[in-house]
Amino acid sequence: MVTGSRRSRTLRRVHRKTPGGVTRIMYVKRIPQAAKCRICGDVLKGVPRARAKQFHSMSKTEKRPSRPFGGQLCSSCMRLEMIKRARMIK
Amino acid sequence: MIEVGSLCMKIAGREAGRICVVIDVLDNKFVLIDGQVRRKKCNINHVEATGKVLKLEKNASHEDVVSALKEEGIEVVEPKPKQKAPRAVKEAPVKEKKTETKKEAKAAKKEAKAEKPKAKKVKKE
Repeated sequence: MVTGSRRSRTLRRVHRKTPGGVTRIMYVKRIPQAAKCRICGDVLKGVPRARAKQFHSMSKTEKRPSRPFGGQLCSSCMRLEMIKRARMIK
Repeated sequence: MIEVGSLCMKIAGREAGRICVVIDVLDNKFVLIDGQVRRKKCNINHVEATGKVLKLEKNASHEDVVSALKEEGIEVVEPKPKQKAPRAVKEAPVKEKKTETKKEAKAAKKEAKAEKPKAKKVKKE
């Protein structure tokens, strides 16, 4: 039987073929949920699904779009926000 | 409505939220803008008019636009021109020229070898 920590479902189970030709179960860390828009809840494009450790090795431009609210709001919600600001100018 | 001199805000892309002025209406799709953004052609859908219209001529220069915006209380920060740092020049490592001929070098090695073991063999008294 596998070790106790591997009997929980925190780790994902992946069936992989070993070089010997036998399929074995590999225990893989789960990928976090995709980033979502704070207003409409849509999945954000241009924001990778990765663990924090992988984020560390990425450059700033790889992590989020370079527009205002990039990585927080989707582009259409950001546009509505900017239209609001434009109408505030008097 | 968008016309020459109308004060706008960019609402799309990385320059979203910056204020600009329409300098020229190219056709029913594109306008020429200047101000807090770089002077460029821009889709009308990417620009939101604020309703204000500044007194500017068609194809006004960047300086005129900046001064007109300043009267409205809008500062334009000029981007710093990129200054190229002087490239560090690597100094080529100076190689010591071998003046000795092969025969001399061999002789020198032999001498060094002969001297070393002698030094080691000195017994402690």
